[in-house]
Amino acid sequence: MEPLLVIEDESAMSTALRTALEARGYQVKTEETGEGALAAMVDAPPALVILDLGLPDMDGIDLCRVIRSRSTVPIIVVTADGAEGRKVAALDVGADDYVTKPFSMRELEARVRVGLRHREAREHLADAAVLQVGDLVVDVTHHWVTVGQQLVELTAKEFDFLAVLARNPGRVLTHGTILAEAWGAEGAGHVEYLRVYARSLRKKLSDDRANPRIVTEPGVGYRLVARQ
Amino acid sequence: MRGRLPEGSGQRATARRARLAGIVVGLAAVLAVTGALLPFRSDLSRAVPALILVVPVVVAAVVGRRGAALVTALAGATLFSFTFVPPYDRVSIASAEDWVALAVFLLVAIVLGTVVAREAQRREAAEDRSEEIRRLYERNQQLVVERERLQEEANRVALMERVDEQRSALLRSVSHDLRTPLATIRTVTSDLREGPDYSTAARDQLLDLVGDEAERLNRLVENLLSLSRIESGALQPDCQAVALDEMIDDRVRKLERLLCHVRVDVELPPGLPLVHADYVQLDQVVSNLLENAARHAPADSTVRVSAQMQEGLVEVWVEDEGAGVPIAERDRIFEPFRRSHGSSSSGVGLAICKAIIEAHGGVVGVADSPSGGARFWFTIPAEPDTEPAD
Repeated sequence: MEPLLVIEDESAMSTALRTALEARGYQVKTEETGEGALAAMVDAPPALVILDLGLPDMDGIDLCRVIRSRSTVPIIVVTADGAEGRKVAALDVGADDYVTKPFSMRELEARVRVGLRHREAREHLADAAVLQVGDLVVDVTHHWVTVGQQLVELTAKEFDFLAVLARNPGRVLTHGTILAEAWGAEGAGHVEYLRVYARSLRKKLSDDRANPRIVTEPGVGYRLVARQ
Repeated sequence: MRGRLPEGSGQRATARRARLAGIVVGLAAVLAVTGALLPFRSDLSRAVPALILVVPVVVAAVVGRRGAALVTALAGATLFSFTFVPPYDRVSIASAEDWVALAVFLLVAIVLGTVVAREAQRREAAEDRSEEIRRLYERNQQLVVERERLQEEANRVALMERVDEQRSALLRSVSHDLRTPLATIRTVTSDLREGPDYSTAARDQLLDLVGDEAERLNRLVENLLSLSRIESGALQPDCQAVALDEMIDDRVRKLERLLCHVRVDVELPPGLPLVHADYVQLDQVVSNLLENAARHAPADSTVRVSAQMQEGLVEVWVEDEGAGVPIAERDRIFEPFRRSHGSSSSGVGLAICKAIIEAHGGVVGVADSPSGGARFWFTIPAEPDTEPAD
């Protein structure tokens, strides 16, 4: 597998990430600057990018946007505590996931695994008519949803919501993104719609609270993951 | 209750009262003069009472203006013809000469009364004007004082806003700087506890990281304490003779791990005098400059520390091969919480260097190093007795 690219200017954190991820069997490349990272990505496209948003030479959000414009590589952004706005902005310009400092390596590794698992699937899913995420299948053409071959009855809006998530498996979608894609202009700002529909979807998909398909990212958005 | 009169009618009422008072005073004076002269009227020429009767007219003009003067003049003329012009006690006048005398009296009284009244009016207007000017002047003074007060108030508010701004910059900066090493420490320690089975080498590396980050926190706290001492004016150097070479060697050894990615060359000229400084404070300056160099020096580059003697001062400099400091930022970089572009430091280290060096009577600055990086330098007084004689 290609290496993970860690873009982090704090040398201590960078070393810690490298050591911890290498001990878990990943290959790791580290870069301290945005410029360096962009150059490294041309030389050797990474399997996944871990990007600290507080970089010295370039705004992390801009870097995120540039990487996304060039590649579909999963991006996990690392933010300092209390920077909710930056996190959402990064997700909106194409980041897939985030962790907030201080994070546990276990949490980061879990997100790396999710990012890598869904990477392949996502490349084929973008224009697909049938979206499969684990045992969940969303047939966009026929408006069918099945879980383990069992048909699930959904309302039109529930279906739209689920389809947006299923098109981006494993990726954190912000409230704004989901509302814009499933509700259009009239949905803007109505985060409460999402809470209502997420609840009813979970019920209909018989989601397990401890291991849900539809994962809430508090204050940020939702994502759909394959049930483990 | 009656409403207040408008100002114009108030002035007219005052004028009417003055005219009435003038008439009363004038008539009283005419009567008094006539009464006083009556016993002597056969001994006096007619010119004497005529001249004396002009006085009441003037008095009436001063008190009651032109109207009162006219009334008094007419009354005076009537009484004059009645009392002092034969045939006595009748208004009739016998001779043409007396007619002339009466006419002249009236004319003189009226002209004099008018002139005096006008003069009195002018004087009063002038007094009013000067009173008005005085009032305006006072008001103006009040406004000046008020404006100064408001200006002071505005300055105070602006100052407080600046202090507030600095304070929140301090908070942001300090909380970021405290949290960054803490985040690494927390992430690494939790991973050491619950993570994979690390090799001994990897485990040692992670433990070293924790130690380094704790050390970094400690340096930051020391800097913050110095800063609070500087701000409260309690930064008093306790000077003694300090051997720079020992101090610098010791400090480089203590920062070995921080400087592990660069080569450190300490090249002090032989015979460098001792310096007159507070050991702990000067050590902090050297430490901050080395830490700053470590932060900006590329891997495998050289950080040079050197010094030279010049006119009772020792100049010390720390050079790196990093990106250098743009000319526009060279002054601001020594202000507290002014991180240079792209710097991950708190922005207090260099400010503390400046405060400490200045408290020692030295100067601190930054220039280009010959290798293109930054050269941070400072001067510090040499210990007088140890200066090599030449």
